[in-house]
Amino acid sequence: MYAIKVENLVKKFGNFRAVNGISFKVKKGEIFAFLGPNGAGKTTTVHILTTLLKPTEGKAEVAGLDVVREAKEVRKKIGIVFQDPSIDRDLTAYENMLIHGGVYGLSGAKLREKIEGLLKFVELWDFKDKLVKHFSGGMQRRLEIARSLLHEPEVLFLDEPTLGLDPQTRDHVWSYIETMREEHDMTIFLTTHYMEEAEKLADKIAIIDHGKIIAEGSCEKLKRMVGNDVIYIKVENCAECFKGEFIRSCKVLQDGRIRIAVENTAEALPKIFELAKENGVKIIEATYHQPTLNDVFLHLTGREIRDEGGEFFRKAIARARMRR
Amino acid sequence: MRAFAVMVYRQLKRFSRARSRVAGMIINPLIWMIFFGVGWSGVFKDAKIFGGIDYLTYLAPGIFAMTVFNQSFISGVSVIWDREFGFLKEVLVAPASRKETIAGRIIGDSVVATVQGLVILLLTLLLTELRVAGILPALGVGLLLAVAFSSFGVSLATKIQSMEGFQMIMAVLMLPIIFLSGAIYPVSTMPWWMRLLAYINPLTYAVDGARNMLTGVEGIFPLSTDLAVLGFLALAFLGIAMFAFERSTIE
Ligand SMILES: Nc1ncnc2c1ncn2[C@@H]1O[C@H](COP(=O)(O)OP(=O)(O)OP(=O)(O)O)[C@@H](O)[C@H]1O
Ligand SMILES: [Mg+2]
Repeated sequence: MYAIKVENLVKKFGNFRAVNGISFKVKKGEIFAFLGPNGAGKTTTVHILTTLLKPTEGKAEVAGLDVVREAKEVRKKIGIVFQDPSIDRDLTAYENMLIHGGVYGLSGAKLREKIEGLLKFVELWDFKDKLVKHFSGGMQRRLEIARSLLHEPEVLFLDEPTLGLDPQTRDHVWSYIETMREEHDMTIFLTTHYMEEAEKLADKIAIIDHGKIIAEGSCEKLKRMVGNDVIYIKVENCAECFKGEFIRSCKVLQDGRIRIAVENTAEALPKIFELAKENGVKIIEATYHQPTLNDVFLHLTGREIRDEGGEFFRKAIARARMRR
Repeated sequence: MRAFAVMVYRQLKRFSRARSRVAGMIINPLIWMIFFGVGWSGVFKDAKIFGGIDYLTYLAPGIFAMTVFNQSFISGVSVIWDREFGFLKEVLVAPASRKETIAGRIIGDSVVATVQGLVILLLTLLLTELRVAGILPALGVGLLLAVAFSSFGVSLATKIQSMEGFQMIMAVLMLPIIFLSGAIYPVSTMPWWMRLLAYINPLTYAVDGARNMLTGVEGIFPLSTDLAVLGFLALAFLGIAMFAFERSTIE
């Protein structure tokens, strides 16, 4: 059973195709990442899947329900953390949770229990009575994550959950996401333009650019598109090529290093050391290069996925100013 | 009903938190009362056009209605702020009835606007000879007025796409609605075309009703007409806002 099923989805703004005919499926319990640069159409897709925008063409199902015809039913099954902050800055963390619970029809002791559990989960219980406007960006994000879990959604959408956060907070958020999946068997659809994020969290990644999915698959599968892992070895005395069924190709370089292309570095490296030992060769240096998702994107588009965190901050600051 | 109650709670809570902002909103009408009102009351010392009361007392119900109007209209239109900053999305993805949610917000905002009107009334009590017994009924008028304009603001906000549009609306609508309501000078002495506009201005009926209740001066319309018009408009605008919001998107 699929948690999300999308067929030929198109979204036009005027004549501009923000989403240009995408199709994909997400299995139940999977973490699926949409990886793409600014303006790729990630948020637009999330908005269609969460019933906020109507698709121009195509079909989308979430939790087995049509996002246009059965929008109201879909809304009961989903939770979302928006790209832009959407919490009440003039209220406390606890009040934000209380109001969200109320809007989802929760109340009483059960609601209070859930709020306590979740605020503890994201380590904000000690700050529950603090106004959100005094929270750091990371704390606000964590509160939004806690809030999105309050009504126990089947499918959770996270639109750039760690955008603009410092590395430490990002690690925190990642660990929350992993815990959520493990403990609640939730399907998570996440968008990001951080490769490490997609790589670390996602079972499956779709790379999106200019409204189109240009590649899709597990992280390993995507990386294989650009080639193999490469291991460089330096040995004492005479360099000679290794032989083994796991070795794709092997070459002795001019500088004396041996270049070995393998399927998977993690598995191949110990085997190489074993082979070396058997043959009485002493390895004095080993380095390797694994293709990254950036290599994949570069290979497919000729461009790099740029990290535009700086721009996000400028936007956020401009917004904060307008608020006053 | 849960979503409705929660939204009322939200608006009241936000109001109770934003004390400095509230103070800022009360200062403006007070400046009108003190500088504009006191200044002109010298000029109008012997004038008969205010129904036998001094100008400051005549002005006070107008400033009360103006305050309620300002607050409720701005809070209604500020739903577009919510769109910009996400809370609207948060409501739109929820399974709760959108009609109920927005109605809760409008009622919450209206109570807040009326409370601000009350603060103004209590402060002007020091300067004027308002009838204390008229305060409670005047608050009823204020609440109807607030529901009408907060709803009107929400309906507008669902149609406006940008912050520039928001500023335009504010500049084009706010002052004329106040000037054409009889809040600061009588409708009866206006030229015919202005009077016509005043008659289709909802604020006119609130000023007229509140003035009658607070000063005992006979209004342009009978009190029952004022109340009927305001009640009808409040309900009609609330209904329109609920439908407009139901169909609003984030595009
Ligand atoms: N309401 C709208 N009206 C017109 N154009 C829009 C609208 N929303 C988005 N777009 C355009 O559609 C394109 C895709 O936008 P979208 O927000 O989906 O990108 P994204 O992948 O989420 O990018 P980012 O990393 O910046 O969040 C952009 O070029 C954007 O300018
Ligand atoms: Mg986006």
